[in-house]
Amino acid sequence: MPERNFKVSIGPQHPALKEPESFLLTLRGEKITEMTVRLGYNHRGVEKACEGRSYIQCLYLIERVCGICSHSHATCFIQAVEEIAGLAVPKRAQYIRTLIAELERIHSHLLWLGVAGHEIGFDTLLMYTWRDREAVMDILALLTGNRVNYGMNTIGGVRRDITPDQIPQILTAIDALEERTKYYVKVGTEEITLRERLSGVGTLSKEDATRLGAVGPTARASGVDRDTRRDDPYAAYGELDFRVITDNHNDVYGRTLVRLGELMESYKLVRQILKQMPEGPISVKAPRKVPAGEAVSRYEAPRGEDVHYVKANGTEKPERVKVRAPTLANVQVVSHMLKDGYLADMPIVIAAIDPCFSCTDRMISIVDTDRNTANTIEWNELRSIGINWYRKQGIDFTELNRNFKIARELK
Amino acid sequence: MGEEENIKLQLIQRFAFLSENISIPRTRRIFAIVPANNFRQVLEYATTELGFVILCTITGLDEGPTLGFIYHLAKENGVMLNLHISVAKEKPVIKTISNYFPAADAYERELVDLLGAQVEGLPAGNRYPLPDDWPAGQYPLRKDWKGKVSEITEVKENA
Amino acid sequence: MSLIKKIVTWARIKSPWILHFNTGACNACDIELIAALTPVYDVERFGILLKGTPRHADVLVCSGPVTHQIKNRLIRIYEQMPEPKFVVAVGTCACSGGVFQGCYNVEGGIDQVIPVSVFIPGCPASPKAIIDGVVKLLASLEEKPAAAKAG
Repeated sequence: MPERNFKVSIGPQHPALKEPESFLLTLRGEKITEMTVRLGYNHRGVEKACEGRSYIQCLYLIERVCGICSHSHATCFIQAVEEIAGLAVPKRAQYIRTLIAELERIHSHLLWLGVAGHEIGFDTLLMYTWRDREAVMDILALLTGNRVNYGMNTIGGVRRDITPDQIPQILTAIDALEERTKYYVKVGTEEITLRERLSGVGTLSKEDATRLGAVGPTARASGVDRDTRRDDPYAAYGELDFRVITDNHNDVYGRTLVRLGELMESYKLVRQILKQMPEGPISVKAPRKVPAGEAVSRYEAPRGEDVHYVKANGTEKPERVKVRAPTLANVQVVSHMLKDGYLADMPIVIAAIDPCFSCTDRMISIVDTDRNTANTIEWNELRSIGINWYRKQGIDFTELNRNFKIARELK
Repeated sequence: MGEEENIKLQLIQRFAFLSENISIPRTRRIFAIVPANNFRQVLEYATTELGFVILCTITGLDEGPTLGFIYHLAKENGVMLNLHISVAKEKPVIKTISNYFPAADAYERELVDLLGAQVEGLPAGNRYPLPDDWPAGQYPLRKDWKGKVSEITEVKENA
Repeated sequence: MSLIKKIVTWARIKSPWILHFNTGACNACDIELIAALTPVYDVERFGILLKGTPRHADVLVCSGPVTHQIKNRLIRIYEQMPEPKFVVAVGTCACSGGVFQGCYNVEGGIDQVIPVSVFIPGCPASPKAIIDGVVKLLASLEEKPAAAKAG
């Protein structure tokens, strides 16, 4: 069959209604030769809105930039404000922020494991990891009053304290999750089907990861030893002991191992935090008007480095708020990862950067440049194509889905 | 002497015009105001000789008569160097730094879309983050811009 | 037969197919919706299935305040759905724009663009609230199936 160059648009596109595609691929046979990414679907105008709101109102808005790492954005933002205002946030508040931060990392990485499983046809993994994740959602709801968008921060500290009766509940949940995650690590390292499916997929060398500015687990899976918690410590991280997890597989398999390793470190961090948390106040009084000044705050969100710049002008409202979420750094690397890769790998490679935009509704247009026709298929269909393609190569999760059982129920 | 002080000294020794324009508000944070014409030299020095190999992001600001651009650089050990330049709003021309940092592409497109900067050398590509049908000359992050998308598209239809 | 039993029976016969669409949401509501499908909450016991295509969907479940970029696609998806069709706005943003009210690139809620049958508030809407909203929608259909068919 003669080779053809197909242009595949991944994203909302319909011949009648001119809309931009999210991902535009050039295919030769089954391989991707080129890819461009288009963003902006989630652009709401948050930075401009902040200029018209008080700092506390900004905090509520910033928290909702991303629902999975809402505490990351809120904390990153408020740290900049507190620095400009010269506030000495109490130690106990810093520890509480760090506790929520690690619980957020745990829920996010478990969520990711499930999503990754779903993208490759290993749906039982989705069911188990999301069921386990409920244990940490319950703890977050117990401590903060909400499952998501915790509203834990205020300017100068946190709004709620951790009470003694909550501590055993946190520890019990962490113990159970750690046992479960050990099993996922076992599956990740020993289950051949999984290993074969994810290895050599979405490759990114250390040189390219560094040159192209990848962050978070995506970068660390290519041996890039960077983690904001250690390199530019904030909250209580300066006083805590933890390993930065790196890996040298340079592929989706590596990104999986890094997140599994980070889960195990987070469980240890939670125990340390609870053990070391000092007594004391949970906030200091903050002024309504923040004196003129500027600050840059950085934070290691589950997806990678989050950067916030704030400029104050002496009024109740900020002069400028700039947010650089980690996904914006990583999505610029995706086209490189997919070059010379198979179309069948697209869903898992994109999922493996753990993107902070909704990926479940992307549509694909196949434009045949020779015949000048257009067909639309959805992300679900591309996922199925990928799963079936690998099935033909002998990599099939049907058996694993059927037999994957975890003996003990998570309490 | 702390590393931040050391870096400040090295910058001043190399670029005398920086001597009154470097501040260290806290550990791991250095801010420098750089004349726009000298920006490239300072960037070259910072990236190749001072170890600032990470570009965190670029912040664009409406400063009234000028547009400001802060290039947030970092070293692997966490120290940040924030280089602030300003250019006249009537001619807000800056050069791309994507030859140093490919990731600058998205950050520079934001400056174009939201502030109306003109970035020389930016390769052809999709705009970010505004939609294709966003009317020309409307820069949401400029201080004098007040609007909402439904009003904007009405403006477009009436124009 | 109790109301819940009626709904469950109806759902198992009708098996409403749901299409989930994010119109620029922060993902919190989307995650809670998917959480509603997983073992702990499990809406499949009501016979509700998540489908990928508008052409087979009965119910469009939307999150997000509707960004300008996504608006046309939302309209097209709604138009592609066969009658009778229903729209559920999940989360405060989908109901009114939420914290993004007034943001320049946001239409301000699903009902600014297409008709909405059920509003489920919450930031995010919890899985329980989502199930409650969907069950209420099914209950309202149970009470007036003829009107639904005509609509």
